[in-house]
Amino acid sequence: MGGKVTCTLGEVKNRADLIVYWGGNPAECHPRHFTKYTLTQKGKFVPNGRKDRTMILVDIRETPSAKAADLFLQVRPSKDFEVLTTLRAIIKGQRIHAETVAETGLTLEQLQDFAERLKKARFGVLFFGMGLSMTRGKHMNSAALLALAAELNAFTKFVAMPMRGHGNVTGGDVVMRWTTGYPFGVNLSRGYPRFNPGEFSTVDLLLRGDNDAALILGADPGATMPQPAIDHLARIPTIVLDPKVTHTSRLARVHITTAATGISAPGTVYRMDEIPLPLRPALKSPYPTDEDVVRRIYQAVAKKPAWLPAGKGRRNTEAN
Amino acid sequence: MELTITKNATCTFCGCVCDDIELHADGERIVETKRACILGEAWFKNHTAERLYPDALIDGKPATLDDAIEAAADYLYNAHLPLVYGLSNVTCEAQREAVALAELIGGVIDSHTSL
Ligand code: SF4
Repeated sequence: MGGKVTCTLGEVKNRADLIVYWGGNPAECHPRHFTKYTLTQKGKFVPNGRKDRTMILVDIRETPSAKAADLFLQVRPSKDFEVLTTLRAIIKGQRIHAETVAETGLTLEQLQDFAERLKKARFGVLFFGMGLSMTRGKHMNSAALLALAAELNAFTKFVAMPMRGHGNVTGGDVVMRWTTGYPFGVNLSRGYPRFNPGEFSTVDLLLRGDNDAALILGADPGATMPQPAIDHLARIPTIVLDPKVTHTSRLARVHITTAATGISAPGTVYRMDEIPLPLRPALKSPYPTDEDVVRRIYQAVAKKPAWLPAGKGRRNTEAN
Repeated sequence: MELTITKNATCTFCGCVCDDIELHADGERIVETKRACILGEAWFKNHTAERLYPDALIDGKPATLDDAIEAAADYLYNAHLPLVYGLSNVTCEAQREAVALAELIGGVIDSHTSL
């Protein structure tokens, strides 16, 4: 998602007077988002905290997060893209017909009021969740929302931020970006990085049966992926590193138990706004960390003859 | 047993990554998680320092760490297009090692982001 207009959660805390959550349910999925970063905190330019801020929730159903919102807008399922494009058109002053927006579940008045609130904000932020980025339209929805945030800067200061899920997914994007130039789905089989979502993304690779071995760490695809993808993981030699014996471990050839990240393994993780934070583990694990195990596998492979002819740029990203 | 107190511990359960948690631990498990939300508390209490699982499993049977590392290296080395996938619940340091390994074995590296 290159080129997004964004900021840190610290800026949201100190400046944001309009907070929009789109397709996310922070009350249940990011429970401290409201209290630690967005709504209730007093900030430098929002000294009265919640009183100085307006929150709008956009979703397809009324989740517990609606209770925290000043305004809840219920969009018909799979109509987020239409709502976003209509908002962009209104903001550009184009004429919209009431009939054409009816299919979105919102009226033209609601959309005009929404657009007006967005323009009038002093510092607005659009947080978007998987209800937007994982439903019909997918990354096109995210792109429309990011474009909306960028275009609103013609009127006021506006930013957008994805509500990233659990663990260190954000760190994964960041690390892959600075080591390979791409955020995910990077194919290194030619000795240099190639990026093509849909071709080199895991589910597509597994469904086509392209991979003939897999190393899974920090995830349990055996519990989350489509069944045909799981079937392929069971067919090929799969290796799992995890603090527990997971669903994937049960279908794998090799499982290695590792220390739990942040609980007994130290290191760095990225917050959803791409701020790196150090971990302070409270326990000592009897198991090695993922970092140690991956490094040892690397060293074991490095002892074998190289698969590329010598001198063909083999170790650009070498970590050791 | 004396409780050890870890101040400003970091919770990695959700993208908020709250770094103001106070953990009280008795050496084997975390017994108190000040300031964590219910999800964070469950996450911290769900993992202990006990030895609940074998060091490693090969074909479902307990194995030593050294043997499992050799087996993993063999499988990955012999594959034409190995996949390195996941990277959610691991540190950036581990992710960095994983990218290096993916390059060495000529594989694809991917995370939850692609789902
Ligand atoms: S304490 Fe709660 S809100 Fe904070 S990172 Fe952990 S799970 Fe997320």
